[in-house]
Amino acid sequence: MPPSIHPVDLITALRHKHLTPAIVFLTSRRACDEAMETFDHADLVLPPARQEAIAVALERITIQHPSIAEHPLIPIVRRIGVAAHHAGHLPSWKIAIEELMRQGHLDAVFATTTLAAGVDFPARTVVITQSSIRKSRDFTDLTIGEVQQIAGRAGRRGKDHVGFAIVTPSPYIDLAVLTKGLTGQPEAINSQFTISYPMVLNLLKAHPHEHIQGILAKSFAQFQLNQRAELLEQKLDAVHVQMEPFGPRVCTDWITQWHTFDHARRHRHTRHQTHRSEPPEISARLPFLTPGRVVGLGRGRGIVLRQYRSKGQKNSMLTVLRPDSAVTECPVTSVREVYDRTCDCAETPTYPWCSTDTFDRLSHQLEDLPSHVPVLPILISPGIEPLPDAIVQSLGDFPCPTCPSRPTCQKDFITASRLRQEQQRHTKSIQALRTSLWHRFQERVEVLQKFGYLTPTTQLTMDGEWARLIRIDHSLLITELIRADAFTGADPSLLAGVLASLAHDDDRPGAFPRISTGLSSLLGQVRKLAESLSPYEDPPLLRADVAALVERWVADPTLTWIGLCRLTTMAEGDIYRLLARTLEFLSQVQAVKSTHPGLAESASQALTLIRRGVLEELP
Amino acid sequence: MNTDELEQLLAQQPVALLHRLARGRIHRHFRAGKKRLIELLLQHSIQNRAGLESDLQALIGEQHSRSEAGSSRINHPPAITHKKASPRGVGPESSETAISLSAWLEGLGVPSPQPFVPDPWQSEALSALNETDVVISVPTGSGKTYVAVEAARRAMDDNRTVIYTSPLKALSNTKYTEFSRIFGFEKVGILTGDRQENGQAPLLIMTTEILRNLLYDAASGEIDVRLDTLGLVILDESQYLADPERGVVWEETIIFCPAQARLLLLSASIGNPQDIADWLTSIRSTVCRLVRHGKRTVPLRAGYLHPNGKLTPLFRTLGIPYGHPSQLHPEAKRLFLEYEEETLPGGRPRR
Ligand SMILES: Nc1ncnc2c1ncn2[C@@H]1O[C@H](COP(=O)(O)OP(=O)(O)OP(=O)(O)O)[C@@H](O)[C@H]1O
Ligand SMILES: [Mg+2]
Repeated sequence: MPPSIHPVDLITALRHKHLTPAIVFLTSRRACDEAMETFDHADLVLPPARQEAIAVALERITIQHPSIAEHPLIPIVRRIGVAAHHAGHLPSWKIAIEELMRQGHLDAVFATTTLAAGVDFPARTVVITQSSIRKSRDFTDLTIGEVQQIAGRAGRRGKDHVGFAIVTPSPYIDLAVLTKGLTGQPEAINSQFTISYPMVLNLLKAHPHEHIQGILAKSFAQFQLNQRAELLEQKLDAVHVQMEPFGPRVCTDWITQWHTFDHARRHRHTRHQTHRSEPPEISARLPFLTPGRVVGLGRGRGIVLRQYRSKGQKNSMLTVLRPDSAVTECPVTSVREVYDRTCDCAETPTYPWCSTDTFDRLSHQLEDLPSHVPVLPILISPGIEPLPDAIVQSLGDFPCPTCPSRPTCQKDFITASRLRQEQQRHTKSIQALRTSLWHRFQERVEVLQKFGYLTPTTQLTMDGEWARLIRIDHSLLITELIRADAFTGADPSLLAGVLASLAHDDDRPGAFPRISTGLSSLLGQVRKLAESLSPYEDPPLLRADVAALVERWVADPTLTWIGLCRLTTMAEGDIYRLLARTLEFLSQVQAVKSTHPGLAESASQALTLIRRGVLEELP
Repeated sequence: MNTDELEQLLAQQPVALLHRLARGRIHRHFRAGKKRLIELLLQHSIQNRAGLESDLQALIGEQHSRSEAGSSRINHPPAITHKKASPRGVGPESSETAISLSAWLEGLGVPSPQPFVPDPWQSEALSALNETDVVISVPTGSGKTYVAVEAARRAMDDNRTVIYTSPLKALSNTKYTEFSRIFGFEKVGILTGDRQENGQAPLLIMTTEILRNLLYDAASGEIDVRLDTLGLVILDESQYLADPERGVVWEETIIFCPAQARLLLLSASIGNPQDIADWLTSIRSTVCRLVRHGKRTVPLRAGYLHPNGKLTPLFRTLGIPYGHPSQLHPEAKRLFLEYEEETLPGGRPRR
C-alpha cells in the first residue's frame, strides 16, 4: 500500500463524492509542488465550459497582476481546476488562486498550513494529511487551536449545508493528535510580553519614570502573573494554617535554632566543605531546582532529578532527565530557564534518583510538555547564604541539649522546616510574580544608560530621541551602527544589503550571487558589532548571501525580476518577502531624517529603487 | 513469553505505545514504521528481555487504565485481554451502531439563497459596542467581519475615525479591497510596512505594528488628528496575542488605545476568552463585554480517507463528538491500524 494517497486518486475520490472544492493541507511546499507534477498527464480534465470560465477569470486577474501571466502552473489550473498555494509563491499568484477559489472555479488547492491562519479562503472540504508542523526547525504536534483553524476552513456559510474535514494518513501521522484537536477545547492564550529597548525609550519619552510601573501593570502579562500570584497566595494561606501547631516554643524561632544545632552537630567533623562561592543569581535559583522541576537548558528542556555538590565542581550540580529518557549531569549554571512547572517525583537515594514509575512518567511528561511553559521569575536577593560556617562556630553552646522542648522539637522539626521552606518559597515567588516585569524594565534601562541613550535620571539623551524611532528587531544593533557611522557614505545598495541581512530570519539554505567587496567588509563590521552586543541583544543570522541578492536588485535597475530569480535558488515568494521586509527596515531608518539627513536620503533612494517590477504590483 | 508471543503482543499495540517503549532503547526510533519498530524492538530484546517485557506490560496497563478512565487517547483494543485475538480485531463497542457512509454524506449541497439576517450574537455584539469594549470569540467562518463592518459604518456615520488591524499583510490587502467595495475607495485607506494609500481616510486598515507606532508617536506629543477623532479600533485575529514574537504588539496596542475609542477584539475560538475580557475590564474605563460561542454555523463532519481511496466516517457519530475523542468509527479504526501495520519506515516520499 502506498504511504499516502496519490493526489490524482484524492481528487478523483473527492469529485466522485461531491466533496469539492477542497483545500488539501500538506506538510511542505515541496509536497505541494510534487502534487502538482502528478497532474501533468492526468486525464482528470474539466468539461470545456469550466475550463473556459477559468481562463476568463484568470485573464481578468492578469490585467491587475501581470506577473502571473507566465506562471508555470497555469495550464494545470485551467485544464484540471487544481492549484498550489504556498509561501514560495508571489503574493499576486496567491491572490489569483484565492480569487478563483472564492468564485468557485477550482476543485482543489494544495496548500501548506500557513494558509490556515487568517486568510479568507473557505471550501466545502479540508483534507488533513499531517499531525505536526515545522516550527523553527523542529516538528511539533498541532495544537487543538491549530487543528480547529485548519478544519474550520471547511463549510462555507451560504454555500454549504455541511463542511467536511477529512483525514488521510501519511507516514508519521498521529491520529490521536487530530482526534483530540477536532473534539477538544482550544488552548488558553498566554501572554508573550517582552520588554524591548524601543519600548523602554518610547515609554520614557512619554511618561515619567515613576509612572512606568503602573503602565506595565496594565499588561496582559501582569494580569496573568497576578492570577498565578493569587493562586500561590491561597497555597500560602493553607501553609499558614498547617504551621499553626509549630508556633513559638521555648525559643521563638525554634526551627532555626534546632536547624543550626542539628547542623552543627552533624557537621562537626566535616569542616572541609568546599567554599560556596556561587553568585547570587545562581544561589537564588537553588531552592527551586528541586526534583521534578522543569528547566530549560542550552539544548531543549529537562526535569531535575536531584541537586548535589561534587568535589571538583565549583557550582552545585544537577542530575537532569532529558528527552528520550537520557540522564545527564550538569552544573546549575547551565540552566537557562527555570519553568513554573513541577512534576511529582518519588525520590530514591540511588541512580536514577527516583522510582522507576516516576522515571517513566517523567519521561512521558517531558515529551508531552506544551511548547510554551511560563518561566518562573526568580528574585535575586544578595547574600542570604543558608548557614555560614562562621555563625555555626560562633554560636558556641546551644540550649537545645538540655531544653525541655527538645523531644518535640526533634520530632516536629522535619515537618515544620519543610512547611517553613514552602512558605518562604511561596512568599518569594509571589513577590517575584508581582515585580518581575518592573525588574526586567529596570534591566533594560540600565543597558540603555550604559550605552548613552538614557541619562542617569532616565531622560532620553540626544541619541535616545532618534533611537526610539527604530522600532524593529535588532534595534540596538541598528542604532549602534548608526552611531558608529557605519553607514556614512554607504550607497543605497549597500545600506539595503545590510538591512536585508538583518531583516532575514530564515535559515533555509540556497545558492546566491557572489557578494561585492564593499558589502562584505561592511558586513564584517556589522558582525563584529553584533558579537560585542550579544550580552544585550541576540545577534541576527547576518547572511551575506541574502544581502548580496538585495544589493544586486538595488544596484542594478536594469535587472529584471526573472533575472533576479535566476541568480538564486530561493523561491520567488521568499525573495519577495525578503525585499518587502527590507522595505520595512529602510522606512524605519528613513524616520531619523531630522538628525541623520544623509542616511535618510540613502534609505529613501533605496526604497524607490526596490519598488519596481513585481514589487510595484499591488493587490 | 517466547519470542513469537512477544512479537504478537507487540503487533497488537498501537504504534504510539511502541514508540514509547522504544525510547532510550532504539536510536531514532521515531523514524521507523510499525513493522520496522517491532523488528528493532525484538532485536533489542536480546540485550535485556526482562526489562523490555516488564516495560511493555507496564505501558499496556497504563494504556488500559487510561482508556478506562475515558481519557483523551484513542481507545485501542486492550491488548492483554485479547492476547489471542487477531491484531485487526475491533473493540467490543463495534456491536453498537455507528453512522454509515451514506448517512454521513447525506445533506451535502448548496443551501437555497436566504435573506441576510444577523445572528443573535452579531446583534448582541453590535449593541454592546454602543456602550463598551467587546471581545468576540467564535469559531472560524462564523461572520465576525459583519460585526466589524457594521460597527465601522456606525462610527463613521458619527464622524469618527475607525482603525482596523490584522496580523498579516495579505489579510490587510484582502480587507482593503473588501472594505473599499463596501464603503467606496475614498473612505478607506491602508498603511502597512510597505504600502501607504489614502492615509487620511476615515477607515484605515493597517498591520498591528503600524498602529502601535502611531500610538507611541501620539503619546510622545506628535499631533495626529486621526487619533483625536478615533471612535473604534478593531483588532482582527486577536488570538495573535499568543504569538511568541509579535504578541507583545497586541498588548502594547491595547494598553495605549485612547480611552475615548471603543475596542473590538475579534478572535477564533480560544481557551480563555473570559480572561481577555477581564483584563480589558481591569484596564479600561468600562466593563468589557464578552461575546462567545463554540458552535459552528455550518456543521462540520470528519472523515477518514484510506490511501487506497476508501472513504469512511472518522467518528461513530454524524457530527464531531466534542469532548469524546475516542469515539472512533470502527471502520476508520480498522483501516488506520492496517495502515500503521503496513507502512514501512523511511525512504518513501513524505507528504
Ligand atoms: N448572519 C449571517 N447570515 C448568513 N451569512 C453570514 C452571516 N454573517 C456572516 N455571514 C457570511 O459568513 C461568511 C464568513 O464570514 P467571515 O469571513 O466574517 O467569518 P469570520 O468569523 O471572520 O471567520 P475567520 O475566522 O475565518 O476570519 C461570509 O461569507 C459572510 O458573508
Ligand atoms: Mg475573519
